[in-house]
Amino acid sequence: MSTILKIFVFPAAMLIMCLGILTILGGHITPGGGFQGGAMIAGAFIFCAVVYGLRENPFKFSHNFLAGMESVGALGFILLGLVGLVLTGAFLYNVGVDLYSTVPPFIMNLFDYPDPIHAGIIPYLNIVVGIKVMVGLSAVVIAFLES
Amino acid sequence: MFYIGPPLFGFILGFILGSRIKTEPDSKIKFTIGSFLVVLIVAIAMAYELGTFPFYNDLPISTGFIAAIIGIFAGKIVLGR
Repeated sequence: MSTILKIFVFPAAMLIMCLGILTILGGHITPGGGFQGGAMIAGAFIFCAVVYGLRENPFKFSHNFLAGMESVGALGFILLGLVGLVLTGAFLYNVGVDLYSTVPPFIMNLFDYPDPIHAGIIPYLNIVVGIKVMVGLSAVVIAFLES
Repeated sequence: MFYIGPPLFGFILGFILGSRIKTEPDSKIKFTIGSFLVVLIVAIAMAYELGTFPFYNDLPISTGFIAAIIGIFAGKIVLGR
């Protein structure tokens, strides 16, 4: 790839990753969410991987890192769902908001996301979905580039 | 009122990504401290133009975006060797 691209892409990728993180964090209140933000972060990584190649890529997504983050994302989603199942009988019940008054107040306060609209567990779900999508799309491209 | 949600999780996610930045010492392209400073200035301008989320009335800039770029730099400094 050309030198101009090699100078431009790494700083641009950092900013695109920040934009992806912002999309994940605003998923409950603005357009976007976990999948879109995760795809933006993966897009920034792919941008670097295509321009620099896997060996010189400044973002080193190792196999262990990808496996760990994939596990964190999947387990986080399942655990958040199980909390609702245990406390209310419904998988993925929003225990931070508690529409049907079946969750004890101290648990509701525990999962209450600190923002003005109090979206409960929705932002946390966006975060874990974003991590999983980021890892999934990055892993696909790494597999293609290695082959 | 300052809402801690987006800055906190923005920093954590940025830190995770920043910890994976490992620049090659023998690479022809050098990214010095100055280039990271330029990225930070551009990020602050972007955060100001992006503004806050709806119903957030704490600061005129996007706190999640700023926290993410600070997290990336912190992760790079602490773990990205």
